[in-house]
Amino acid sequence: MYILLIVLIVVLFAWYLSFSASRLDRLHHRVETSWEHLDALLQRRAALALEISHLCELDPATEFLLTESAYVSREDSISDRSDAERSLSESMSFLKSAAASGEVNIPFPLLEELTTLTEKITFAISIHLEAVTSVEKMRSRFIYKFFRLAGRAKLPIRYSFEEDVIK
Amino acid sequence: MVISLSGDTRPLKIGIVCPYGWDIPGGVQVHVKELAEHFIAAGHQVSVIAPVSDESASLEPWLVSAGRPVSIPFNGSVARVLFGPIAASRVRQWIAAGEFDVLHLHEPGIPSLSLLACWSAEGPMVGTFHASTPRMRAIAAAGGLIEPMIEKLGARIAVSEMAHETMTSLYGTSAVIIPNGIDYSHYASGRTDIEQRLSSTLKIGFLGRFEEERKGLPLLLKALPAIIKRNPRVELLVAGPGDSSKISSSLDPAIGKHVKFLGRLSHQEKAEFLQSLHLYVAPNTGGESFGIIIAEAMAAGAAVIASDIPAFRALLDDGTNGLLFKNEDPASLAQAINTLAGNHEELAQLSQSGMEAALQYDWDTVASRILSVYESAMAGHGKVGIGSESASWKRGR
Repeated sequence: MYILLIVLIVVLFAWYLSFSASRLDRLHHRVETSWEHLDALLQRRAALALEISHLCELDPATEFLLTESAYVSREDSISDRSDAERSLSESMSFLKSAAASGEVNIPFPLLEELTTLTEKITFAISIHLEAVTSVEKMRSRFIYKFFRLAGRAKLPIRYSFEEDVIK
Repeated sequence: MVISLSGDTRPLKIGIVCPYGWDIPGGVQVHVKELAEHFIAAGHQVSVIAPVSDESASLEPWLVSAGRPVSIPFNGSVARVLFGPIAASRVRQWIAAGEFDVLHLHEPGIPSLSLLACWSAEGPMVGTFHASTPRMRAIAAAGGLIEPMIEKLGARIAVSEMAHETMTSLYGTSAVIIPNGIDYSHYASGRTDIEQRLSSTLKIGFLGRFEEERKGLPLLLKALPAIIKRNPRVELLVAGPGDSSKISSSLDPAIGKHVKFLGRLSHQEKAEFLQSLHLYVAPNTGGESFGIIIAEAMAAGAAVIASDIPAFRALLDDGTNGLLFKNEDPASLAQAINTLAGNHEELAQLSQSGMEAALQYDWDTVASRILSVYESAMAGHGKVGIGSESASWKRGR
């Protein structure tokens, strides 16, 4: 009788461990896919920045800032990119307000794309950060640490530019 | 009404789950219906599954019934929801046959069809949280059970700041905030300036399930004598489903002759009703998360007076787009109405700023934001399918 009970408990516990591991696995997957989506949007933004700087007559300082950060964010590794993304966010939002007040002339389709892209990036960042937070929270629980349910998966990284865009 | 499928937006197959009875009036149902219609008009394929009480009635071609809903008390109202093995198997069949690109679950945090769908499915899923209420203790207790399920959602949407707070405190997750949508042009087209509406009678409107205490009609009726005293030619128009005979017989005839019950209005009648008003009053005492009717009244050009509950305070931008009165205080309500009735300039100004503010809730804007969230959830995934966990559960049965 007791043996049966013990076997039952062991089976249930094993099921719970496998259930927990698959939960974490799903979250890890979500962090990856949400990052890929965000990354693709950021690449599109960099391309748009270059297009705007080619097509519009900007003052030299803005143009330099825009092209420089766009090139960095298109080519460098993500750890170097964070600062570039940050300055790109800033110069793009400056451009938007300058266009709204008529100081800079940006063709309407480009301006429209800039607006939708900015909104999409804001959403994508908040969705990505939510996944990151969930993973961090789950991996800090005792059962996940003790049984090493995360395996060899790396802890997700937060980049400073993400906080910047979201606020 | 048509949004362009620009650039990267290809036509999608979208599955939407509505947890509440389809043929019962309610905010979530209206939201789902209008969202579905908007997406269809924009060229997407949409299928909605919902509980339906009367399956013999003629339904929209894109609606699938999951069975008859049961009544449970929820959030100060009676919610008509559905769960159980039959609903579970219907929703699984719907998911398996649908080959959806994305599944959009409404109110997935309460035990309902949406939760069943979330449990069964695997793949790109988005959840929208509507409710904002501190009274969901039963659900808070079940939070630990629900958490692993709503974790499967690739992205979450909260319809308001209040709904966001509620979901954060219950499930410890965060969301993107996208407000509910309104069909702006439906309420705005053909509206007249508020000055032109100013005839000798002051028209005050109320719309909602007036028998429910929290919708606040009793409060408005209590304020009425003080309003009549200052404005002898006032008319209170009450629209919405319910039995009005009990209320009208309990009123003093001298008061009652100023109150008119219009019954349930059609979509077209609703726009005409709102466009005929000087003042729209929302005296709700709580349990509201958004207040879509207020946005619609603003689009129709009526000046809005609302109780100062958090949802309305947010919607009216702290009183910029409408006048707020002290919640559950009939004297404060009467004073607010009398102030506006005596000041046409302020009335016109509130009507104007309301019309401008309502534009941000137009479906064109709201639906394209929801689409951006879909894109996020779909990235890196294939189509929606039946999850392995629930499949093995089925094999084991």
